[in-house]
Amino acid sequence: MNIKWQSLLALSLLSFSSLLLADNNDTQKNNKEILTLENCHLKGIKSQVQCGTLQVPENYSLPDGETITVNFAVLPAIDSSQNKTPLMFLAGGPGQASVELAAHIFSTFAEIKKSHDIILVDQRGTGKSHPLACDENEVSNAYEIIPEDFSPQEIKDCIAQFTGDLSQYNSENAIRDFDAVRVALGHDKINIYGGSYGTRAALVYMRLFPNALKSVVLDSVGPIEVPIGTFGQSSARSFNLLLDNCQQDESCNTAYPSLKDDFKAVITRLEQAPVNIKIAHPRLGTKTDFVLSRSKFISNLRMQLYSMQTRPLVPLVIHQAFLGNYQPMVGLIAMSEGGMGMYVGLTLNVVCNEDFPKITTEMFAGDADNTFGGNDSHSAWLQACPLWPKYAVSEDFYQSVTANIPTLILSGNLDPVTPPSNGDESAKTLPNNHHIVSKNSAHIVASTPCGIEIVNEFIETLDPKNLDESCLAELKSETFMTHLNGNL
Amino acid sequence: MIQFKALLIKELREAFRDKRALMVALSMGLLAPIMIMVISKTMIKEIVDNPPIYVQFTGAEFAPKLIEKFAVNNILQFANVPEDEKYAWQERNIEVDIPKDFAEKMLAGKAIDVVLRADFGKKASSSPIRRVKEVVREYSLAIGYKRLLVRGVDINLLQPIVLQEQDTALPTSNAVMVSMFLGIYLLMGAFVSGLSIAIDSSAGERERNVLEMLLCQPVSTLKIVLAKMTCASAISVLSIVIMLVLTTVSVGFIDLTKIGATFSLNAFSIAALLLLLIPLCFFATALQLFFSFQAKSFKEAQSTVSMLIMLPAMVPFAIMMIDDKPEWVNWLPISGQSMLMEDVFKGLPVDWAVLASTTAITVAMTVALVLALAHKLKSEKVVMSLS
Repeated sequence: MNIKWQSLLALSLLSFSSLLLADNNDTQKNNKEILTLENCHLKGIKSQVQCGTLQVPENYSLPDGETITVNFAVLPAIDSSQNKTPLMFLAGGPGQASVELAAHIFSTFAEIKKSHDIILVDQRGTGKSHPLACDENEVSNAYEIIPEDFSPQEIKDCIAQFTGDLSQYNSENAIRDFDAVRVALGHDKINIYGGSYGTRAALVYMRLFPNALKSVVLDSVGPIEVPIGTFGQSSARSFNLLLDNCQQDESCNTAYPSLKDDFKAVITRLEQAPVNIKIAHPRLGTKTDFVLSRSKFISNLRMQLYSMQTRPLVPLVIHQAFLGNYQPMVGLIAMSEGGMGMYVGLTLNVVCNEDFPKITTEMFAGDADNTFGGNDSHSAWLQACPLWPKYAVSEDFYQSVTANIPTLILSGNLDPVTPPSNGDESAKTLPNNHHIVSKNSAHIVASTPCGIEIVNEFIETLDPKNLDESCLAELKSETFMTHLNGNL
Repeated sequence: MIQFKALLIKELREAFRDKRALMVALSMGLLAPIMIMVISKTMIKEIVDNPPIYVQFTGAEFAPKLIEKFAVNNILQFANVPEDEKYAWQERNIEVDIPKDFAEKMLAGKAIDVVLRADFGKKASSSPIRRVKEVVREYSLAIGYKRLLVRGVDINLLQPIVLQEQDTALPTSNAVMVSMFLGIYLLMGAFVSGLSIAIDSSAGERERNVLEMLLCQPVSTLKIVLAKMTCASAISVLSIVIMLVLTTVSVGFIDLTKIGATFSLNAFSIAALLLLLIPLCFFATALQLFFSFQAKSFKEAQSTVSMLIMLPAMVPFAIMMIDDKPEWVNWLPISGQSMLMEDVFKGLPVDWAVLASTTAITVAMTVALVLALAHKLKSEKVVMSLS
């Protein structure tokens, strides 16, 4: 039984985008030599790209000890004649596998890929780099389970499945792998783009190997100074901005004049007892139970706050739930039923050791004091982390990063997990940076063509302070869905 | 050897004397790169850019969100058309009718009939029509997906089969568009550039009675033919080299990455192309000399030989049309070269066996033509144009 992983997942994190699922299908080969690189096909990409593997020590202080295989891919530049410095993409989570995001990056980073190779490395513990995944052969019923039923035994069962020395699956070693791939591919310097947790990885990269980096893009920042795990205040802020936007939009305000009260009423109702109804299974069409608890409601709503594509649905989902129609919520859960390609083992291994110990009881209490989910985002950590095997993190890890590398910091004002204040935190200590806040973006600014345009201009000019940001002003706020049959 | 050298110098002098004819000979090499650049630019613009489209909307007020969606995709109301484009859009006259019960039917979840009226056969309208259809389809689909989602249906059900396309072309392949044009132009260049010189040095010299003088000299006819062929071929080779060099330069001015493509020829590819094309240049001039010596007059030579240049234009097209090519097509002159060039452009490794055999057959045919011609020139029939 692995059922609770799914719901635990819904409670997490800094994922790159909540709408992605991918699974690559290239061939795994035996590794006699250190580096392999060959043409291959990745799911969702029509043209051939290059796939490779690199053997690295599991523990860098024991170079002759156990080795693990790091999987990576290179999306070749369309026009390679100018020999421009490649861009390495650092994925979010922690726990997302970069190579599995290849199709998404192939299309959204098209402008950059015109003249720059894009390097994707599966962080150790994800994808095909010694994945820390739990047995997921049985698909659970996402409609019946609720996060409140989570049992510690499942965490213990999962930990028991892992092989290798868990203490080596940390952020610093991940960066050592990334840099080993850079060296193996023969690049003196690279540009890096980190999104979400990828920004944390990028900051660690800046501290460990500043000379290997030509430029850095931090999109939706998870600074060293702000521990990952307390999303109560930030998601409440994001939710309130959504309520404001709805109120200011005439059609939304007409359709949902008392949205805030509707939300409170639903929460009060679910706090008393979870809703338990029979529904047609969204995918199978058979009768099934649907249980909706407070935590399930909140965590699924929070997931919609990440993206400008799903935010427009939130008022309708709340209002319909208020009216006793839970089908819109069922539809949302169906959308993410297949999981989000998150390697939860790595997620917990990193967060429980590198961030969770830094969150004090006062910080948890302060974060829980909000009008959206209260302490809801904490429960996953509070339950799983005490059970998770520990490793020691050096004090250096928590030092603010001061590397003098051209750095572009991007934040979306509507972001529920990495608010603009996070970006300010990193901007304080980096000597050559510029922080751009996009008013009508949520998590990941570079998910829009405009955001990519700015990133592209930056890695061309390396001058973060003189970029053309004008297109961000043209981004529109949410066009809310005001009726079950669509907008007018 | 001295005799051959003297003959060749004589031929080259004659060729270079007429500057205008020389310009015509080299024009192919100069014009093809410009043509390639202009055509590619226009095609890219058509594929990638979304120039504004002006549509006559009726009932726009009934579906403001749809009109907004159109506007985002640069499909605008006819009232906004700038003065200088007004005539063109009036001619195209693309109309979209939105019914006044649009809102009512939308909320009721009933199908809404929006009318698109235009002359579907008109070429200038085809791209605008395609774009209007695309926007309506996308808009409609997005609403459909959301309707199902809020009814608790898994929207992935709408995609039972997802076709994953895997293109086996190498990532380093050159833009098909550019390489196709360049391939044809190179073949044409090999055939056309030496043409006027070949005719002039054969049928032309005969009319000017130079040929008679030449044949009276104590030199073998073989040397005469070789000198004439070398001269005309040299001009075609020059033209091809110019074409290759200028194309690699001119393609730099086109942003092919917009269509996900690129074009670059490295020294190796250029060498391989020349290796392929130089024998073909000789073959072409040998063929032209042969036919223009056959002709009774300069004028007749011109028309006969002009027919020959249809070959390089037709053969590649014919090959493109045949999907299952018999193997011997690889070995024939023109078709063999044409197919090998395609491989070079795609960045595939050159099939040296095929290259060697095509070249060998081309050279053999050239030698046969030269020998036959040398033999013919021994008879006074040729001089008297009595063939």
